[in-house]
Amino acid sequence: MFEKYGGFSTISRVVMSFYDRMLDDDDVGPFFEDVDLPKLIDHQTKFISAIMGGPASFSDEHLAGAHKHLVINDMHFDRLKVLVQETLTDFDVISEDIETVLDAFEQRRHLIVRPLNVD
Amino acid sequence: MSIEAINEQLLRAIGVGVALVDLETLKLRFRNDTFAGWFGTAEESAKLVELFPGLDSAELTKALNNGGRHTTEASFKIRRRTMTVAMEFSHALDAGEKIAVLVCQNITRIKELESMIDSYSVMVERNTLEIKREKEQVEKLLLNMMPRAAYEEYKSTGIVAPRAFEPVSALTLQFVDFHDLLQEHDPGVIVSELNDIYTAFDRIGEQFGCERVRTNGDSYISVAGVPDAVHDHVGAVADTAVRFLRYLNQRNNSHPIKWKARIGIASGSVIGSVVGVQKYIYDVFGPAVSRALVLRRQAETMSIAADPEFTELLDGRFEIAKMSAIGFAQGDMAGAVKVSARVGSPPENTPKHDT
Repeated sequence: MFEKYGGFSTISRVVMSFYDRMLDDDDVGPFFEDVDLPKLIDHQTKFISAIMGGPASFSDEHLAGAHKHLVINDMHFDRLKVLVQETLTDFDVISEDIETVLDAFEQRRHLIVRPLNVD
Repeated sequence: MSIEAINEQLLRAIGVGVALVDLETLKLRFRNDTFAGWFGTAEESAKLVELFPGLDSAELTKALNNGGRHTTEASFKIRRRTMTVAMEFSHALDAGEKIAVLVCQNITRIKELESMIDSYSVMVERNTLEIKREKEQVEKLLLNMMPRAAYEEYKSTGIVAPRAFEPVSALTLQFVDFHDLLQEHDPGVIVSELNDIYTAFDRIGEQFGCERVRTNGDSYISVAGVPDAVHDHVGAVADTAVRFLRYLNQRNNSHPIKWKARIGIASGSVIGSVVGVQKYIYDVFGPAVSRALVLRRQAETMSIAADPEFTELLDGRFEIAKMSAIGFAQGDMAGAVKVSARVGSPPENTPKHDT
């Protein structure tokens, strides 16, 4: 998928668009309030590249570690999925590929979302 | 509307932040809308250092008093986004007053892109390293299967043309009673022992210019002169063969499993080629190997059999004895000789086994 949609040239624009949406969104944006810019961009670049099959190694351990200090619930996760969908739609990614990406995303929900009844 | 008014309106509307700074007090005297949007309008006479705590005011004053420019960068947050502006102060005279024009360009996107390229570069470099490591592993594997020259040819053309090598010498070794050993011991133990022994054989052969061609269970075949010519290929296989037996003798003294072998050595020509398409392997075969195999079958346990020409070729460096013709089952074995180390020859260069 990474090569299919134009490699880094396209991915860089997808990353920037996704980054803008995340920061502007009142549900998920606050999670990035105190994250410094290089770290946030690094996170987004690796994440988008990884879910689109690019040269990124974003292990489950890494993903869980990066979110363990955050209280993210299902609502936040669902919202993030909507932002991913909107971003990819804007870049003319076909719906089948968007589904693949969202599936990959869904499979990692348990690594990011913290159950509400667990303190 | 006057020209001045139009100018001011334009100045206020552009996407670049512009402000005028009184160099005596380092206070702002004017700011356009973009500047105000970034840094606020509350304090009309705010001091520069209050807006930009990281600004080196001494450096700024010094540069501008000398009629020069001062450039720096500043970061700040608007909602959740970290903004970065490139600031350029330039000296301007206004009716004798010391005024500086401050122009702020929004370089946030450039900074974000720089961060992204940094992140991506690290990923690509890591991937490149992984690919390089994998390539080295593949190369190492292929170099175990074929000589470097054949590998280079395979890499550039995709094939390895068959090539005749002459004169070369071949050494073939076979363990005696291997079948019994297999029945008496766990297969894992036998494989471990063979691994140990063949590794030692490889090292011994390497010292004398012999290269392993293949192993097949209890059989080990090595040649001298492929792919690079070896001047004394006869001496190379004889030296190697003698040390193989010496190594086994030494090893048997300290290990529970006693390995006995017979060896045949012969000279002649061979062909070296990759055989197979899907499962290819570099093979060396031909008269020298075939003859060594025949001689090996006739060698006594823990001895080396060779053709009679070896007597002259080895030039008195080894003990040569005629072999008994009794029991020769095939081929012309007339005059075959038994090669062994001269009595008292030093056991130099015999590598120790790994266990």
